[in-house]
Amino acid sequence: MNIGRVLWVGGWVIALVLLQYTLRPLLGWRVQVDFLVIALLMVAVRSRPAVAAFCGFALGVITDALTPEAFGAGALAMTLVGFASSWLKAAFFTENLALNAIFVFAGKWAFDIVYLTAARGASGSDLAVQVFLWSPLAAALTALAGIAVLVASRPAPDGRRR
Amino acid sequence: MSRPTRIDARVDVAAGAACVVAALVCLALPTATRDGFSGALRATFMAPLVNLQKSAELSRRTFSGHDAAVVVADSVALRSLRLTGVEQENARLRALMGLGASLEWGFVPAEALRGRGVGDEQSLILSGRRAGIEPQSPVVTEDGLVGQIERSDATISTAIVWLHPEFRVSAMAMDGEAYGLVQAHGGTGADRFFLEMRGVLIRTELKPGAEVVTSGLGGVFPRGIPIGTVVSELETPDRWARSYVLRPAVSLSNLGSVLVLKSDRVRAGVENVWTTAAGADSGARRIVSAVDSMARLAGDSSAARQRRAAAVGARQPPP
Repeated sequence: MNIGRVLWVGGWVIALVLLQYTLRPLLGWRVQVDFLVIALLMVAVRSRPAVAAFCGFALGVITDALTPEAFGAGALAMTLVGFASSWLKAAFFTENLALNAIFVFAGKWAFDIVYLTAARGASGSDLAVQVFLWSPLAAALTALAGIAVLVASRPAPDGRRR
Repeated sequence: MSRPTRIDARVDVAAGAACVVAALVCLALPTATRDGFSGALRATFMAPLVNLQKSAELSRRTFSGHDAAVVVADSVALRSLRLTGVEQENARLRALMGLGASLEWGFVPAEALRGRGVGDEQSLILSGRRAGIEPQSPVVTEDGLVGQIERSDATISTAIVWLHPEFRVSAMAMDGEAYGLVQAHGGTGADRFFLEMRGVLIRTELKPGAEVVTSGLGGVFPRGIPIGTVVSELETPDRWARSYVLRPAVSLSNLGSVLVLKSDRVRAGVENVWTTAAGADSGARRIVSAVDSMARLAGDSSAARQRRAAAVGARQPPP
């Protein structure tokens, strides 16, 4: 990536992090969009797995500061999702919007599963309800938002399509 | 695959594995170290983001409460046209009845925020030490006890709520007959949203509906904060003590503004604060009823005077 694209992606990542802490609480829905996962996937599809894993780890550790009891769970989930999505981007991340949506959906669902398992906050039926009901709904909403972000972020500064 | 590509792939795997190991190390850190790390992050990177989140939460409450506020304002305006004086008096009384007014001093009002939004219903994020919030301070609402501040940095504090498995509070029945230790009921499904009072002496029995408040033992929570009401007795193998399931006084869904009690207020005690707030309505009703009775008595006595005057007039011979 050239410096222009790095700045372009960096700007989108910052915007998504800000949306996570402004739009999400403003909407206050039971099922919420995870803008941090979208930001991580944006980085992951444009960088090497090592960079994606490191970005995921950094983002996860910083956001884990608000849930000290599960400190590290978000970092682990973000690292795995970042690494895996960067590794699999060639297969999934194409010009096809439906495939991109599946990519974001899988990323968010995988994040939730790893996070809930590592945080050990819920178990039994609560965990099942969270994993098989609320997480897929949140993943679907995140996928919709992800598609919107992808479409909006397509025009690169140099005018070429990525 | 060429040699540089293979080396790149190995570097990727090694870096990814290093990040995973680092995350696992974070998960396994001792509590004190973890608190140090997370506290430093909260004070630096997360502080502006949490402030943004707080503003957004307040905006949402303003938006969602706007229609209801307009309706209330309309009806109040309509009524105030007819009963301006009474409305003003009501407003003053209602303000007096509020918990803040009852406490008078020694508390910090704060907005309770949630963390990530996934599996974080057991903790809250509040303002920090700069706002006067210290670790171990009780967190309350007008309904009763919410939880306790666990950690407090300069800008952000985290509190555990009564749902947290490590939350404990010494409790007693409102009449002071039974003492015990209250903690989260645990379990799965709706059961985990109940509390459990353990260690009540076998000779003391609590009826369903009995109110349970903090006992003040231990010095963390002052005596008299409502915790919940008894739902039923819990069957346990313990022969020397009873356990009860409690319905919490405070519902955690849509928890907005809370009060954090300061240490000097905890030491001074809060007895009668919640009973005053709860009894204010009935007090106001009693005042109204007393005024009515007095008016009735006054009416009766004037009628009696009139009757006596009439009787005296009847006994007197006509001029």
